Amino acid sequence: MAQSSQIMSARNARTYRWLVAVCALALLPFAGTGEANVAQGWRIDEAHTWIGFKIDAVGFPKTRGHFNHYSGKVFIDFDRPAKSFTSFTVDATSLDLGSQTFTDFVKSSPLLNAEKYPTLSFISTLVEKLDSRTARVTGNLTMLGVTKPIVLTVNVDTDPSAKGRAVAFVATGTIVRSEFGMTFGVPIIDDALEITVKTRALTDE
Amino acid sequence: MNKGVSVWPLSLRLAHWASAILVVAALGLGTYMVQLVHDPAERFELTQTHKSIGVAVLALTVVRLCLRILANAPKPEHAAPLVLLAAKVTHIVLYALLLVMPLSGWLMATTTPVRVPTFVFGLVELPYPLSPDLTTYRVAHTTHVVSAVFLGSLVVLHIAAALIHAFLWRDLTLARMWWRRSPAA
Repeated sequence: MAQSSQIMSARNARTYRWLVAVCALALLPFAGTGEANVAQGWRIDEAHTWIGFKIDAVGFPKTRGHFNHYSGKVFIDFDRPAKSFTSFTVDATSLDLGSQTFTDFVKSSPLLNAEKYPTLSFISTLVEKLDSRTARVTGNLTMLGVTKPIVLTVNVDTDPSAKGRAVAFVATGTIVRSEFGMTFGVPIIDDALEITVKTRALTDE
Repeated sequence: MNKGVSVWPLSLRLAHWASAILVVAALGLGTYMVQLVHDPAERFELTQTHKSIGVAVLALTVVRLCLRILANAPKPEHAAPLVLLAAKVTHIVLYALLLVMPLSGWLMATTTPVRVPTFVFGLVELPYPLSPDLTTYRVAHTTHVVSAVFLGSLVVLHIAAALIHAFLWRDLTLARMWWRRSPAA
């Protein structure tokens, strides 16, 4: 009886971790600023959401920036994880680099060109579970009107105190900006930059 | 020549002290922002200010050189010929560096692949006459840095010499660049 219980418990734990991973990776870039973001009973904890990037340059400190406005959608298929889907859009004009003049410059035409291309968008095309704590999401990023595939690695972390009702995840990936036509400053400013999406998904179920 | 004049014309005195303030500010800010500022936003903003000051130095130096050519220069105070020669050379090199510093900075801002528009004190946009070119930028950058070290050293030498004239030799070299009235006037 005790042995059977242990087996059940181990199986439950595996299933649980698997579900969490699928759920989290599907939710990866899901983030909202007010619009209805509830799908499959999950919602985003906006207080714990952050979308940003960092980029290196020669003779200049490493620059970190983030966006203040974004929205996202997510569809989760627990039975067929590969069918899970997510998409999000980021308001390019909501960039924040900590200084108005610096932000305005990066939003200007040689870089983000936010006036002409006010949104950055990501649509997932493939969701893969790597292990219980890691997932890989492939999708199409549209920046400066150019759409290219990118790959994000997602670290999944369950909050033990939340009893499975909260999942934190950190998605990171590298964008080679020249592929999107953003060649400004290369090679003084690196061609590759790292993007990060941190968020937390909550459910009442 | 100009034996009757014992002070520099007011315009040149004003230009000298304005230049002194701007050059110390540009050198200090340039060194500070590159060596000590690690916040990218702050570095960006300080660089914009640094470029504005540099443009002011360039404009002032051009005006100053014109005034200097046209001015009635006061006769130098008595000193050993070698001292007079050293002073002459220092002054010529200082003037040259006051041109080389902002011009090499302008060349940097023009040829860098990271071309950021320069709005001089937020008012006028500085034209960029050349295309971005990494090799030219690197030469301009090296020139700017080496010139900055030279200029900083010469400014120290220049101040030291002025103080020696004023307090050790007690002549009027510093006074004629200050507010002393010309007895001839």
